[in-house]
Amino acid sequence: MDSIEIEFLAEKAPVTIVPNFTHDKLYLISGDVGPFTAGLPVEVPLWLGINLRQRGKCRLVAPEWMDVEKLTEKKEEEKQSKVFTQMPCEHYLIVTQLLLSSAPEDIPNAQQIKTLVKDIWDLRISKLRSSVAEFIESEGTHATLDRLTLLEINSVRPFLPHAFDQLHRLSKSAHGSNLSQTTQDIQY
Amino acid sequence: MLVSDLRKEFYDVIKGKRILVLVHSDIDGICASKILQSLFRADHILYTVVPVKTRSDLVSAFEQHREQARYFLLLNCGGCLDLVDVLSPPEDVKIFVADNHRPLDVCNIYNGDQVRILSQLGEDEEVPAFEDVFREEESEDEDEDSDEEDGKRRRFDEETLERRRARRQWHQQRHKIIFDYTQFSYYGSSTAMLMFDLAWKLSKDNNELLWWAIVGVTEGQVCERTEQDRCVLATGSLQGHVSRLNHQTQDSQPLDCLRITFEKELKLALYRQWSLVESMRHSLYASTTLKLWTLRGEKRLQELLAEMGLPLVQCRQLYSGMDVNLRQDLRSLLEEKAEKYGLPDLLFPSFSASRGFRTKVGAADYVYSAAALLEPPQKDMTPTAAALDVADCLTVGREEVLERGIEGSKQQLSAIYRQVQTFLDMNQVISAGPFLYATVIQGTPDAWFFSAPHCLTLLARFTLRAHVSVSRGRKSGALPLVLTSPDVRAAQPDTCLVCGIPPTSEDSRRNFFGKAFEQAAEKTASRAELEFFDTNIIRLSVDDRSKFFDALISLLS
Repeated sequence: MDSIEIEFLAEKAPVTIVPNFTHDKLYLISGDVGPFTAGLPVEVPLWLGINLRQRGKCRLVAPEWMDVEKLTEKKEEEKQSKVFTQMPCEHYLIVTQLLLSSAPEDIPNAQQIKTLVKDIWDLRISKLRSSVAEFIESEGTHATLDRLTLLEINSVRPFLPHAFDQLHRLSKSAHGSNLSQTTQDIQY
Repeated sequence: MLVSDLRKEFYDVIKGKRILVLVHSDIDGICASKILQSLFRADHILYTVVPVKTRSDLVSAFEQHREQARYFLLLNCGGCLDLVDVLSPPEDVKIFVADNHRPLDVCNIYNGDQVRILSQLGEDEEVPAFEDVFREEESEDEDEDSDEEDGKRRRFDEETLERRRARRQWHQQRHKIIFDYTQFSYYGSSTAMLMFDLAWKLSKDNNELLWWAIVGVTEGQVCERTEQDRCVLATGSLQGHVSRLNHQTQDSQPLDCLRITFEKELKLALYRQWSLVESMRHSLYASTTLKLWTLRGEKRLQELLAEMGLPLVQCRQLYSGMDVNLRQDLRSLLEEKAEKYGLPDLLFPSFSASRGFRTKVGAADYVYSAAALLEPPQKDMTPTAAALDVADCLTVGREEVLERGIEGSKQQLSAIYRQVQTFLDMNQVISAGPFLYATVIQGTPDAWFFSAPHCLTLLARFTLRAHVSVSRGRKSGALPLVLTSPDVRAAQPDTCLVCGIPPTSEDSRRNFFGKAFEQAAEKTASRAELEFFDTNIIRLSVDDRSKFFDALISLLS
């Protein structure tokens, strides 16, 4: 899976907007988008919200988890815990990136939020990497990781399965050569 | 026809249709076109933008694109021409005009359907009433017919004679009214401001559009086109918008957002990008008041700097190299000392923009930079490319174009200063009776800069003020100036540009040279091209110059 595809999936996440126009319900293939009334908040998929914002037809409202205090708390939680914690939104990085690039003025404290989300992402990725390294060294056979998000899994996906394949082949050939050595001993 | 509600009668009409925008190569027009372009993009309206410089450009661009669109918009061009006559549009074509040149042609104002004027007319602009200018065609035909019918035998009855006399009188009256109306040319309110108001009504305004409107209005102020009180009104309304869109503090906004601040600005050209002394030398106001080309003037400048406590070494280096506390106190120090040195108007209310960690740039700096980009010293740039360059310089994120423009502007201002110094040292500003006259000698190396309308006007203003400040008699303050310069950019050889500006003692910025040049050219049958939309500049062939000026002198005395 490409990160582009994951971004596409993330764009279905709901976001609240305040439109400045009035329109009836839109009947789209992916679902109905409620009637628009100027000045009243309405929930729409992210892709529609971004498009309307670029055309100057609405104002974006920050999702409730996108708040400086909440994110600082989350970051502390992530730092303290050895395992991964539950993220407020499955696609937190992508949603932050899209919202802040199209409408930074609508989100209060955009600069700090950007830094905090990036910090959380870095923490989780480093935890993932260290757990992968540990797993390889301990030569375990299976592992369970809870509460990882799709984008994080995707970051190790190109590397991890191939690496384990190689290790498996190497260990098989090492084991095979051990066997052939012992058979030789027996012969002598 | 005058349009009162821009939204209903202009924007809703062109939604979903294709529009061609013809924009004059001046900063206000280009700012207005940029605001419109962002509106068009948001609403998916198909548009084409064509920059034009002269009347022939306008006509040829119209011919080229006449098949493609049914709606045309003219920004800052064509308002003073009889459009139906000049362009001869087909029946279903609608032409919208937003022009800040005045007086607008009466045929455009009273046209029923095809020409719609978007600019708002101020209260002090008196347009002749419809009855005074147009008359029923029928009654004229009737009279003509009746005259023809009777052939040689003239009807001497009372009625016909009365009618004929009344008609003649009406024609004379009409001629006088039209002459009075078109005698003075001046500028109305900025078109960029008009477009920003439209964006505001559509709730699509943001800081970027506001900045473009500010640059458009500042052009009028810097180039002394709009009257003082109109300037003040425009600045006041812009300030309202600025406080509405910029009320959040620095911390809550992301760093690379545009922030506009309203503050009192110094009337020194490019002082933030240049050294303080250089900027004072090349700014019209400071230089001509302190007479910086004379030795005495230099001494006075040094006195002023010493009194303010600024070390001379620092004033001579780049502004950004000066001490931080000196830079912060500069405005207040200058304000205190300004009165004493005869510079009371040194501070004027203006706006400046800052983005991220870059230095603040003032609106006037943008105007200077854009003016330099419009008339580049390179020989191979077409006017269209220059206009597109200006559009780039205004875009947020293309700061390198702005910097290029500022360097070009420094060259332009230095060339103007050198030329003024030559004029005054060699006493080349001569009084020719009703006006002062100066000519840039053929073969001056800087002549390349002056073969462009904007730079030429700036040179003329500088020269006139400098001359007035130096000359002993009081008469020179009341005389206008006519300046000519060889046109080295024109295709034909041996042409020159002639520019006329009103005297310094008059507050009103109304210029009568447009009409005067036209009449003088007609009288002497000179090969003059009244091409430019700013009617105070014409292109004349060098051989006809002397008889043209003789005619002008006799006309104005």
